[in-house]
Amino acid sequence: MIGLKGTLNVIDNSGALLVECVNVLKNKVNNGWGSVGDEIICVVKHARPISSGAQTVSNVLKVRRGDVRRAVIVRCKKPVRRPDGRWVRFDDNAAVLLNNKREMLGSRIGGVVSADLRMKGWGKIVSLAPKVV
Amino acid sequence: MYFLTLPTKKRIQGMSTAIAAQRVRVKKPSYPCISCCSEPLTIMFARSSFRIALDAWRIVSRQSITTSSRIYPYSRVAIIPSAPPGSPPASLRRGKGLMAYLQQTLPSTEKQKIISTIFSRTHPDRVRPGTVLTVNLTHAPTSFSGVLISVRRRGPDTSFVLRNVVQRTGVEMQFFVNSPHVKEILVVSRAGGLDRKKRKGLKKAKLFYLRDSPEKMTAMSAGVR
Repeated sequence: MIGLKGTLNVIDNSGALLVECVNVLKNKVNNGWGSVGDEIICVVKHARPISSGAQTVSNVLKVRRGDVRRAVIVRCKKPVRRPDGRWVRFDDNAAVLLNNKREMLGSRIGGVVSADLRMKGWGKIVSLAPKVV
Repeated sequence: MYFLTLPTKKRIQGMSTAIAAQRVRVKKPSYPCISCCSEPLTIMFARSSFRIALDAWRIVSRQSITTSSRIYPYSRVAIIPSAPPGSPPASLRRGKGLMAYLQQTLPSTEKQKIISTIFSRTHPDRVRPGTVLTVNLTHAPTSFSGVLISVRRRGPDTSFVLRNVVQRTGVEMQFFVNSPHVKEILVVSRAGGLDRKKRKGLKKAKLFYLRDSPEKMTAMSAGVR
């Protein structure tokens, strides 16, 4: 249940570390709450320092603090119901940054993601994740 | 008045309670629920509810045509478990001891065994909070292991929560014992280990404090994948 002002850890290598949710997209009625698999608009609150020397190596766009980006929620603390009746709960809220075309900004994902992403159509993220629960 | 006589020994499933409740009077003998009748039953419909009578007749006639193929006509994917052996006693028909009867018959026999041994409150082989369990599921991902942090005992609705740390993130999953997707529940290591004295150390029924102390969590789940 991520809403306005909710903070999420970023688990890809786009450079951001912590983002704050500003808006939850897509669903007509969500009462302002987003869960796993929902797209959100977020502001980067904390990012890894960008050293100009290492910039040329990777072709991944590094985000800065204060950037407004889109992201998809991949883990949330609020229990999410699976179709077979199970409830899954993670210990933190996490997101993966996206561009306007729903493509990932980073190239790698470092951490567990929820399997509910597959059901919501984020198969690319699920395939990149090291562990899906 | 329209009279609809339902044939003998037919279970009238799918007759919506809306039909049964509105403007319908059931001729004696009366039954607690319309789907339990196995003797001839006549339903009286008021003149104004011709459409309801027609719908009811349609349901019954459709039932009589396809009884062998479709017990529940409104869904092809619904799982209808077979009726338990033996006819229910007369007191059950009146509604006495209904919940106790359901607790005994709703889960399948294997699941009943699991509920009554592993998740019972007093059985010597019961599983205590702090035990490490592995749950095998019928669909992918096939298994999940974790420390048992809570058991919610509600008869057929019994469920338990397993907590594990996957890639430095804590994950908790709540499984319902009766779910057809739960294939097996295996005990990896008992709470407190083999030492009987240490078993008494864990005195809580719900180990939610593990969420805040990762050291205790690793101590319990040492060596679990």
